[in-house]
Amino acid sequence: MKNIISKLNKAFESRIRLGIMSILSVNDSADFNTMKQLMELTDGNLASHLKSLEGLGYIQSFKQFIGRKPNTSYMLTEDGRKCFKEHLDALEELIK
Amino acid sequence: MHHKVLFILTNIMNKQLEDIKVIREMMECSSKFLSLSGLSGIVAGITAIIGAFIADFYILPLNNDFTPTHEEMFHKMLLLIVDAMVILLISISFGIYFSRRKAIKNNQKISGSLIRKTLYNLSIPLLTGGIFAFIFLLQGNIPMVIAMTLTFYGLALVNVSKYTYDEIHYLGLLEIILGVAAAIFTQHGIWFWIFGFGFFHISYGITMYIKYDLKKDEKHHIEIK
Repeated sequence: MKNIISKLNKAFESRIRLGIMSILSVNDSADFNTMKQLMELTDGNLASHLKSLEGLGYIQSFKQFIGRKPNTSYMLTEDGRKCFKEHLDALEELIK
Repeated sequence: MHHKVLFILTNIMNKQLEDIKVIREMMECSSKFLSLSGLSGIVAGITAIIGAFIADFYILPLNNDFTPTHEEMFHKMLLLIVDAMVILLISISFGIYFSRRKAIKNNQKISGSLIRKTLYNLSIPLLTGGIFAFIFLLQGNIPMVIAMTLTFYGLALVNVSKYTYDEIHYLGLLEIILGVAAAIFTQHGIWFWIFGFGFFHISYGITMYIKYDLKKDEKHHIEIK
């Protein structure tokens, strides 16, 4: 039991990070406002979690302009996808 | 001591279960448009049947005594286009109305980029089919108008089904089959149209309403903090 719990990734303990990873795992990319709207978060709250996930190398951001407005989008890195999958597998095993 | 461990374990389990719900909800609402209501299908079906009868009984019949003049043909075509536009407008308006109502009721969040993707994927086959239907209408070939609208509508549904309920995929396949059949059995065209846009929509709408809309009330919503 303890062994399984230790497999759960500490980085995904927060629901917000879990939400971010879930959204990005089924979409090629998602922009800041979409995620903010889906999870009903404030700018600061979402930004801090995005920053830490990016710091861990799980997601990467790219800026683009839509008209004149800057728009930041995010996508999973290969490492992020692998770690998230491992986390999901661990969750699944735990529930069993 | 034993109880304490058990208590901690249950707590962990509960958190993981809630986590899984969050994961599933975020995956679903960010990639699928699930606010589509079965009621939209029912209204669209009824509208289509009424529209088809108006076309078949009031617009299409020709006076057999003489060959119609160009003016009369033009007049009929115009009426057909108006008839089709009214059906489309009523169906879309009710579709949007019921979807909004369902989204608000179930506290579903709809991402703007998802709506854009859905509309884009829906519009490519629909516009293509619309152009084909218009070309055949100009040639006075009503059976092919019916075949084209059914077929391309089916293709649009299949194309867009990856962004919404899987059932849309099968509805699309059925519409394509009917469209092709309408091109072969041209003398019964209007009945294929009434089945495809009318009865299929109504029975699909009722099924979806019972399967998803009624059940959704029990859905447990988790706050992401």
